[in-house]
Amino acid sequence: MKTSKFWHFIANLATWLLVLGVVFPIVWMVFTALHTRDEILGGINTLTFTPQWHNFVDMWKNIDFLGYFKNSLIICGFTMVFACTFALFGGYALAKYRFPGAGLFSTAVISTQMIPGIMFLIPIYLMFLWINKTIHLPMVNTYWGMILVYTAFYTPMSIFIMRSFFVSIPKELEESAIVDGCNRFQAFLRIILPLAVPGMVATCVFIFLTAWDELMFAWVLTTTSDVQTIPVGIRLFVGQFGTQNRYDLLMAAATVVTVPVMLVFFLCQKYFIRGMTAGAVKG
Amino acid sequence: MNRRALRFRGYGFAYWLILPSFLFMVVVHFIPMIQGIWMSFLNLNQFTLPKYLGAPAAGFQNYIDLLTNPDNPIRAGLGYAIRNTILYSIAVTIGVFVLGLGAAMLLNRKFKGRGIARTAMLLPWVVPSYVVGILWGFMWQRDNGIINHLLVDVLHLLPDKPFWLLGSNTILAIIIPTIWRNFPFMMVVFLSGLQTIPDELYEAAKIDGAGAVQRFFRITLPLLKPIIAVQLLFQVISNVYSYNIVAMMFGNGAGYPGQWGDLLMTALQRQTFGYWAFGSGAAASVLLMLVMLGVVAVWQRAFRSELNTE
Repeated sequence: MKTSKFWHFIANLATWLLVLGVVFPIVWMVFTALHTRDEILGGINTLTFTPQWHNFVDMWKNIDFLGYFKNSLIICGFTMVFACTFALFGGYALAKYRFPGAGLFSTAVISTQMIPGIMFLIPIYLMFLWINKTIHLPMVNTYWGMILVYTAFYTPMSIFIMRSFFVSIPKELEESAIVDGCNRFQAFLRIILPLAVPGMVATCVFIFLTAWDELMFAWVLTTTSDVQTIPVGIRLFVGQFGTQNRYDLLMAAATVVTVPVMLVFFLCQKYFIRGMTAGAVKG
Repeated sequence: MNRRALRFRGYGFAYWLILPSFLFMVVVHFIPMIQGIWMSFLNLNQFTLPKYLGAPAAGFQNYIDLLTNPDNPIRAGLGYAIRNTILYSIAVTIGVFVLGLGAAMLLNRKFKGRGIARTAMLLPWVVPSYVVGILWGFMWQRDNGIINHLLVDVLHLLPDKPFWLLGSNTILAIIIPTIWRNFPFMMVVFLSGLQTIPDELYEAAKIDGAGAVQRFFRITLPLLKPIIAVQLLFQVISNVYSYNIVAMMFGNGAGYPGQWGDLLMTALQRQTFGYWAFGSGAAASVLLMLVMLGVVAVWQRAFRSELNTE
């Protein structure tokens, strides 16, 4: 028993050392955000300092961070609503119906995840330019252009998350509803939809987190600050070649974009992890 | 109404349900992909751009250029990017699996503060990857970065402060943050996998005299194999297509990551849009897609038995 106790101690030690290493960069981000610009440029070597809370106020004034924040919220928000709705329908169809072409549709959905983004980026960019030229509908530098692209990108994975939820809802529920005189649509609306809420929460969190983090398409498809999202705009704190060097504000902004996401994540952690791992474990 | 009827009668509704996702996939995935393949056979650059899909045909010239012409802008530094992407994908995948499984096994015990430890280890998963790039780029700085400060000034592990974002150290500087960001997901997946393994198996093995190492290799690993099979493919794909961390770490999106930091996605994006070399860029994308299809095929063959157990 003595050796078992020893190994338990070692395992605990390893766990907490790992926790320390894992959490450190995040702590460092917040820690840096509370310093002055000069302290950071000189290298932070001491734990004693006066917290510069005003960095969290200045970051909104130094660059138009509120604008980027608003753009991100609009683009990610609409993407979340559309993609989650489509995934709700698509996942339900795949889970509950055997229709000709279901296999093909599944394969198409999963294949979209295997193709490199650059494969879509070049044609989509040129297609957007062409649409603007031929029918004078601007696509580059618009909210709807970004929402269209993001909705399409995050629907496939969402369909699989939703499908795994619907599969776990017993068929008998719908069958009894239909026996009781509901039609297919009513059964879906009254019986299935309320049960699918946890799945939709998981899917929405997934979509929002992923869209919030998208850089490559945003970088190419938006060039003006009135539609650019945070990942594109945040660099302005340090300038392209370090001309501004406001690492204090950069870290404050990084904290501001991370913490709300963390809060949302931990509020619906249970659903989210269930949704994300259902597909991963079952294959 | 029996089960058969619900399944097979009136599946027309199902088509209405998949219609929106289907349309979006056609417009943003299918049509662009066909266009991309078409463009890879066109001489599409800044001069022919207005002609769009009617640009002069180039036959296989884009592909030949890509493989043989040293002046092709897409080719510049592509060799480095390919080498780095291979090293990076292998290292990150292994790192994420080892750390993910290790952390899952540490957390799959009873100890004080288990909930806190689990939550803390999930944190990097929620940090946006562009923030990961910015943050680690900041920490890797040579003179004032905290990593060099800890390694040299505090722990005295190295005699001099190394450059992390210059030269061959760069590959480490991009691998480590990616593992840090990606391992929590694998940890969660392994944790839910470990929880499906009944304790009785371990108890029985213990009574039969199997040591901890044996129990790991004879019970844990074989039972996790289906999970590993699925996740291996997703890890490899997401690492080969990795962009954000590297893009943000160097010059905050504007700099060249260097010969040991550049990846395929950053290289292709930068060179294609920097030089308006759309035809060559499309050709390179098509080649990359074919290589990845090959990877998927090899994977399917290698894990045939694990994938059929469902």
